[in-house]
Amino acid sequence: MADKEATVYIVDLGESMADCHNGRTESDLDFAMRYVWDKLSTTVAANRKTWTIGVVGLNTDETDNPQNEQGLEGYDHISVLHDLGPITRASLKSLRSTIQPSRTYGGDAISAVVVATSMIEVFTKKLKYKRRIVLVTNGESPIDDESSDEVAARLNESNIELVVIGVDFDDPDYGFKEEDKSRAKRNNEEILRRLVEQCKDGVFGTMAQAVEELAIPRIKPVRPFKAYDGPLTLGDPSKYQSALSFHVERYFKTKRATPPSASTVVSNTERAGPSQTQTLDEDVETEGIEFSGVKQMRSYKVDDPNAPGGKRDVEFEDLAKGYQYGRTVVPFSESDLNITKFDTKKSFTILGFIPWSSYREFINMGEVGLIVAQKHNEEAELGLSALIHTLHELESYAVARYVQKDGTQPQILLLKPNPAIEDNFECLYDVPLPFAEDVRTYQFPPLDKVLTVTGNVLKEHRLLPSEDLKEAMSDFVDAMDLSNMDVDEDGNPVEYAPIDELYNPTIHHLNQAIRARAVDEEAPIGPPAEILLRFSKPPQKLLDKAKAEITALIDAAEVKKVPEKAQGRRGRKETVKPLSGLDIDALLGEKPRKTISSENAIPEFKQMLATAADDATVESAAKQMGEIVRKLVRDSFADVLYPRAAENLHVMRDELIALELPGVYNKLGLITEDESEVSEVTAEEAKAFATSMS
Amino acid sequence: MAWSNDDDRRPEDDEAEDELDETDYKTQKDAVLFAIEVSPSMLQRPPAGEKRKKSDDDSPIAAALKCAYQFMQQRIIAQPKDMMGILLFNTEKSKFRDEVRSGTGYPHCYLFSDLDVPAAEDVKRLKSLVEEGEDPDEVLVPAKEPASMANVLFCANQIFTTNAANFGSRRLFIITDNDDPHGGDKTAKSSAAVRAKDLYDLGVVIELFPIAQSGKKFDLAKFYDDVIYRDPAAEAGSLDEVKTSRSSDGLSLLSSLISNINSKQTPKRAYFSKLNFELAPNFTISVNGYMLLHRQTPARTCYVWLGGEQAQLAQSETVKLDSATRIVDKSEVKKAFKFGGDYIYFKPEELATLKNLGSKVLRLIGFKPRSKLPMCASVKKSIFIFPTEESYVGSTRVFSALWQKLLDSDKVGIAWFVARANANPIMVAIVPSRASSGDDNDDGRPSGGTPYLPAGLWLVPLPFADDVREVELSAPHRPPDSLTDKMHPIVKNLQLPKAMYNPLKYPNPSLQWHYKVLQAMALEEEQPEQEEMEDATIPKYRQIDKRVGGYMAEWKELLAQKARSLMQHRAVKREAEEEADGGAKPLAKRPKPIAPAGGRLNNAQLKAAMEQDTLKKLTVAELREILASKGVSAVGKKADLLEKLEQWIEENV
Repeated sequence: MADKEATVYIVDLGESMADCHNGRTESDLDFAMRYVWDKLSTTVAANRKTWTIGVVGLNTDETDNPQNEQGLEGYDHISVLHDLGPITRASLKSLRSTIQPSRTYGGDAISAVVVATSMIEVFTKKLKYKRRIVLVTNGESPIDDESSDEVAARLNESNIELVVIGVDFDDPDYGFKEEDKSRAKRNNEEILRRLVEQCKDGVFGTMAQAVEELAIPRIKPVRPFKAYDGPLTLGDPSKYQSALSFHVERYFKTKRATPPSASTVVSNTERAGPSQTQTLDEDVETEGIEFSGVKQMRSYKVDDPNAPGGKRDVEFEDLAKGYQYGRTVVPFSESDLNITKFDTKKSFTILGFIPWSSYREFINMGEVGLIVAQKHNEEAELGLSALIHTLHELESYAVARYVQKDGTQPQILLLKPNPAIEDNFECLYDVPLPFAEDVRTYQFPPLDKVLTVTGNVLKEHRLLPSEDLKEAMSDFVDAMDLSNMDVDEDGNPVEYAPIDELYNPTIHHLNQAIRARAVDEEAPIGPPAEILLRFSKPPQKLLDKAKAEITALIDAAEVKKVPEKAQGRRGRKETVKPLSGLDIDALLGEKPRKTISSENAIPEFKQMLATAADDATVESAAKQMGEIVRKLVRDSFADVLYPRAAENLHVMRDELIALELPGVYNKLGLITEDESEVSEVTAEEAKAFATSMS
Repeated sequence: MAWSNDDDRRPEDDEAEDELDETDYKTQKDAVLFAIEVSPSMLQRPPAGEKRKKSDDDSPIAAALKCAYQFMQQRIIAQPKDMMGILLFNTEKSKFRDEVRSGTGYPHCYLFSDLDVPAAEDVKRLKSLVEEGEDPDEVLVPAKEPASMANVLFCANQIFTTNAANFGSRRLFIITDNDDPHGGDKTAKSSAAVRAKDLYDLGVVIELFPIAQSGKKFDLAKFYDDVIYRDPAAEAGSLDEVKTSRSSDGLSLLSSLISNINSKQTPKRAYFSKLNFELAPNFTISVNGYMLLHRQTPARTCYVWLGGEQAQLAQSETVKLDSATRIVDKSEVKKAFKFGGDYIYFKPEELATLKNLGSKVLRLIGFKPRSKLPMCASVKKSIFIFPTEESYVGSTRVFSALWQKLLDSDKVGIAWFVARANANPIMVAIVPSRASSGDDNDDGRPSGGTPYLPAGLWLVPLPFADDVREVELSAPHRPPDSLTDKMHPIVKNLQLPKAMYNPLKYPNPSLQWHYKVLQAMALEEEQPEQEEMEDATIPKYRQIDKRVGGYMAEWKELLAQKARSLMQHRAVKREAEEEADGGAKPLAKRPKPIAPAGGRLNNAQLKAAMEQDTLKKLTVAELREILASKGVSAVGKKADLLEKLEQWIEENV
């Protein structure tokens, strides 16, 4: 269960907060609010009722706080903007309009802390809460420090952490010092610093650092999940006395984090009816469109040649489950379905061992698990440890069959020993391996030789690297080594791009944009934070270092880009010959083809174009093909001939685009501008045509 | 009516979105037509009397039909959307679809099973021909006068044109032992070559599976070289070999043919093609990507309507409803992100901007020794890449040089990878694989361990920091000791065959079981028994006992000894600590002064407590904690919990 939290943000809204300082083009308030909005929107996004938030304005034009109402002095120009409680998107929106610089500066920061303290005390009573007050200010308005000690004592008594983040406050640790600081500000900074120092729990920092740290993605911590708790065996303990068995626990070590996914929604205002949508005025719109989720309803149909449209509805109650066996549908009763499940018992047992040299990372099929001995079980601890050390010393891995619980499908796992080399504990890591069915046997030619048609083996060929190229590549790879690019203070190499610095750019860019939009609906989408794209290109330092090797490699490789046009199909066609090199066109006879038959339309169309001497022949071919397509569509019983018609159209279009004669096709159908620069038809027109065809 | 809330389906949808590229790639359907020659020599059984195995008793035609049968059985389940057909040629009888013709149409061509997604009936019919040798229609009778190959090819052309008009992959598998069907007849040869060109233009690939009989060579030059085409974009080096099947020492004709056909089981489909691989700024080559490893899972169930004469597939349609159960039109639907009970909306073009973090590319950022890859650097399967000359001439030699260097230095590349436009960027390690067949190791280098995979480079996805879980456990380092030494012979003696894990030797038992049950149901055969199914993933227990039983027994004794002394050592230490603690603090301040908290009782203490009958002094909370730590369900009243704990102690301590 997540801990309960009560946090009150005190935001200085004094008139000086509207000014820009230290070369920034945004006001102190906007600068400070970057931090506050980020914290607030993160809390809203978490959508936890127990994470409560309050917001207090300091130096507000008005005064609205309980202390002032009780007639206490020194609480002027302090307003509670959001009572301590859960915070929603709506609260963010209303805060956005209230958090504006005022025309005053008469509020006292320490009084505001008292207001916040009392808010927390009243709200949390004596319950278990994480209590915190965050004050953001530029320290320009006067502070009365008479009651500092008292306030600090009260904060400590109530277990409240005080965080003060000041705009342009000096922070030697971070390395910031404001040169032309006013005396008043220096004084106020000192008062606040002393206050924080008196607190048991306190942080005093400068805003620049806080804002800078916002860019570092925060990773959602996930509690480890125990996937397996039971014996790991070698041999079968139920049959053989000699079999080994250790009680182990298996946890997930990696699990793919997914970006937030969008839900399907409808806009509530649009739903209200078209008349109202049209009369939407500015005011309604700025309140924002409300969305609501949609549900799905499923209905079922079967083919029925007698029904209109060839299909008819059937009741869900009349359906059974089943599987498709080719064209045949095989219904399965509930009990039949049970036997299709492979019956398994929870188990984890070693098949055998393999040397490290016979494993490569690319046979990993998925996420990694981690295996440790059961707690407080000495035999398991010692036994597993011995297995880990043995595997490590013999440079071996174990291969095991793993059934997570009764009834689940068996998996084959590779177990890798980690005698506390990576991470700080002794464990086995495991990765799933493929089964026979998971391997596709495609054939590829060898990379280190060329086989000729006649069966000769060539070691020198334009497809094979020359000695020069091999050498240049070797130098390039060595020069571009990331593992010793940087060194730390002690001269030890620092790893570049370790996993804990690789942030998923999709997730964090999207989350960042969602938070920004939650605060400000008008906010344009900013570029991804620099840290997210840090590893999208090689480090400049390395490129500079390897400059000579890169140049040498480029020279030795002599790679040439194929011009765009030559990549198309045209030009290649003339050279098409069977293995023997026989000239089929010659066999086809002297007379170029003039007619296209429906039954052999595609080959004849292609052949007619290939031998066409002029555009008129091309047009004639296209015209004939058009006729064939029309006839296919006309003659088709239901949609039986549509695929054939579609394929004919498809081939005709591709061929004419390749010939750069899309106009010919457009007389019949349409080629869009995207597909051929020469065409004048837009995508919409083409789409309209396609719809009218189907 | 079935209802489902849109949000409940999110995780699945999300997955689908992420893997969209792959689904696209799978929808490309494949149609295979077998064309098998029926001739006296094809019908001839191998001469008896020689030292032949029983399994090698097949006539070439029987072997060909068995192959086709096996092919059909496999693909009907593994590739249920793909088509298959069988055309026999040189038959005395002629049949094309509903018309049984002779003399007209396609004489001496017998369309045994039309090109379609096979049905249970097709499987049964082929099975009875293959296994029982039942040939009621006397199909397997050779024609007196051979068929014209031009006719056979045009017949195939028509079958593809009508039945698989827009299939992405169409292949004609010709199985024959006759390398010279037309002899000196030049006209017949020419017309066959012309019809072959038609097939090429139609987009049909001819795969020839020649059978060589009794030491004779199948000479492609006589006829088939004029018929077979290869993608002209493919370079000389990448020529797909035509492999001749024959029965030779130890290998039957059937297994030879099966292995040749299996290598063409799935058409080679690229996951992405002509991707730019940027090795350095201004230095780019082009590569194609292939998904050579992909987890196969049993097909999902479908709904079947049983109201008619025949079981029929029910197709589902969904409509979307708003909160007032009004049907929502597609145009009204928008995509928005949940945010603290509300939704955050982006315009479609804004969403596109958000998702676009760079164009599709494989961009190298540097190299590392392979040993620097952390052990836990795995999240999903890898992609195989291979060079193509189509965008950059010279790609292959550069790729080859890189591959060679990475192998020689045992290094890997680190790269930024966007597979397709709008795909999510990931970081990958570029890892080389060695040549696939054993004879490529003539230079004496180690095989690299994956002979079941081709030589090339692999993109191994690296986890992001977001994907790694911090598991806070205390599992302190323990120095190796005599237990480790004594375990060496156990591990050394239990190496897997050929000292590697070869996935091809381990079919997925749950998948195989699913296939078997489904096939038996569909063909109305007897249901198989799970016990009878071979499961290669079960360890060879008897062998383990035989080979290392002695070592293991010895080792277990040592372990028990060491565990006992560790237990005692800990108990002593704990007592000392407790004494120290107890002395320092007033007893009253300690909430549970009687015994250490339940979870901290070690096994020996638990056993002692059981023997002294003091377990019942533990509170319910403590009992639950202990049971949970032992992986035992901690549900029930105190008496139940006590019983469970006692049972656990008896069994485990």
